[in-house]
Amino acid sequence: MIEVKDLTKTYTIDGQALKAVDKVSFAVGKGEMVSIIGHSGSGKTTLLSLIGGLTKPDSGQVMIDGINLWSMNDDCLSEFRNKKINFIYQFSSLIPTLTTIENVMLPTAFGNYSEDIEGYARELIRVVGLEDKMNSYPSHLSGGQQRRVAIARAFINSPEIVLADEPTGDLDEDTEKEVIQLFHRMNEEKGITFIVVTHNKEIANQAKKQFKMTNGILSAI
Amino acid sequence: MSARLNIISFALKNLKRKIIRTLLLLLAVTVVTGTLFSATLFISSMQNALKIGTYRLGADVLVVPEKYASEARSALLAGEPTSFYMDKSILERVKKVEGVKRASPQLFVKPSSFTCCYNVDVFLVAFDPETDFTITPWLTKNLKKSLVGNEIITGREVPVVPGDTIPFFGTAFKVAGTMEPTGMKFFDHSVFMTMDAAYKMAEDSKTKSMQPISIEKDKISAVLVQVQEGFTPDRAAIRIEHDIDGVKAIASDEVISTVRKQLGGLLKGILAVSAVVWVLALLMIGFAFSMIVNERQRELGLLRSMGAKKGHIFRLIIAEAVIISVSGGIVGLIAGSTLLFTFKGLILHSLKLPYLMPSATVLIELVAGAIFFSLLTGLLSSLMPAISASKMEPYEAIRKGE
Ligand SMILES: Nc1ncnc2c1ncn2[C@@H]1O[C@H](COP(=O)(O)OP(=O)(O)O)[C@@H](O)[C@H]1O
Ligand SMILES: [Mg+2]
Repeated sequence: MIEVKDLTKTYTIDGQALKAVDKVSFAVGKGEMVSIIGHSGSGKTTLLSLIGGLTKPDSGQVMIDGINLWSMNDDCLSEFRNKKINFIYQFSSLIPTLTTIENVMLPTAFGNYSEDIEGYARELIRVVGLEDKMNSYPSHLSGGQQRRVAIARAFINSPEIVLADEPTGDLDEDTEKEVIQLFHRMNEEKGITFIVVTHNKEIANQAKKQFKMTNGILSAI
Repeated sequence: MSARLNIISFALKNLKRKIIRTLLLLLAVTVVTGTLFSATLFISSMQNALKIGTYRLGADVLVVPEKYASEARSALLAGEPTSFYMDKSILERVKKVEGVKRASPQLFVKPSSFTCCYNVDVFLVAFDPETDFTITPWLTKNLKKSLVGNEIITGREVPVVPGDTIPFFGTAFKVAGTMEPTGMKFFDHSVFMTMDAAYKMAEDSKTKSMQPISIEKDKISAVLVQVQEGFTPDRAAIRIEHDIDGVKAIASDEVISTVRKQLGGLLKGILAVSAVVWVLALLMIGFAFSMIVNERQRELGLLRSMGAKKGHIFRLIIAEAVIISVSGGIVGLIAGSTLLFTFKGLILHSLKLPYLMPSATVLIELVAGAIFFSLLTGLLSSLMPAISASKMEPYEAIRKGE
């Protein structure tokens, strides 16, 4: 259960205050899938980062399962991210020195995970169709393949919440459909909560709750 | 192959990424550690040789003919064979000087040739078993007997073993024992015999040898002096020179401590220069790591978003620096010792100073010290970049690095 209350984040650019996220309040139930659309620069990425505890709001709260994220110290918050949340970024987010399998397993380096986590990583890589690229480095993968590695990584820690920022940006239509199917399957089978930022109307419409972001203000549609 | 990552393997992968930069940083540590290690080892080896040499000599003051003072000094320090003589009556007069506890005569003989088969400089030293206090304790302790007849003991560098027979001036001598190495040629290249044997050898050389020598029975080369408690060797030496004309009294610790002081000064100089170079290396590595953190801030932010704690980031950066600096230190140790052993002979030849490797314990301490030092170099230089890397806010780091 995610509850966001009066969340505000202001940036000062050239002496001008810019409310990237402006008094946003909304709630997402456990196992729900919600979508957010909006023009670029409207504050979607900032909002996801606030929910994931990557940046501190100026005011307002993010409560996850009743815990205020910013009441935790940094180590607890890191552990929280490691165990409960995972991100899919809008841009390439792989570590260039690591292979596909290593990139997928990277989050497990920062917490205690069972020995057979490698088997799960291989399975996830198979699910995104990259079993023949297991030991390839990101520089040998296409943009779409890199994105699929990042998507496999998003599930490695069996998160409760996945925050996806335009996850299908550089995928072809077929792969895009497969990824959306994967999200729905994960949502239904594992009860993972999804907040998906997207430009794609079709994806947006498949979500139970749909929001639109305009100049930092979030509204339901 | 396991895909599981730990900080060290992750750090290694990062270091491989910019291999040239990594190697340059490593080289900087190599140079600093290598210089420091080899200079310290070299100088402490010389100091060690001098210390053991003084101990082996066992005499506080060496009384020699005034004219031969500098020969005596170089004989002591560089082990250059020499022979000079003075009247035996000097011994009795030295004994009477205030502050002298014990005095014993020695005879130095520079052989015209060793034997045809060996080409090592040797130096014949004859002592008086009745009064001697330098060789005799060693004999008692190691051979448990005194030298009789034509028995000799030899320094470590004389190429013989106990039981061998070697001739000097036509007389055959039997090797009764060899002394442990001191690093000082004066001892390591010496052959010790009794005074009686030496006089007899000289006497017999007239008939037995092609190159006879003559040493008169009432001649000695030096008087070795042990001073009474409450007297410093310096003071006793001054008194001896005052009371007896025509002699030079050399306080052995004065000769040796002067050289040791000079070596100490040299070491300090090298340390001072190294300290400056070290600070430069620290700044250079620190600067490089600030760059590394800056280049990689997006990746570091991503790691944070995956649940890496501040401590993970801190340790990652420190690990990279320490891997560089400790490997640099180890390479420096190897390179430094290789250079030292290659050029040791050359340097020693021009310095004319004794050299003896310190004991294994000291050596281990030096090696451990050098490795600790290189570890410290990595730690210190990357501390600031590692702190600033761990303090970055994940989202800011990810955005800025884009
Ligand atoms: N760290 C930051 N510093 C300064 N300005 C920022 C920062 N993050 C976001 N912004 C600004 O906030 C606004 C919202 O950005 P963002 O959340 O990335 O929008 P979106 O993801 O909807 O495109 C933009 O105008 C952007 O320039
Ligand atoms: Mg965005």
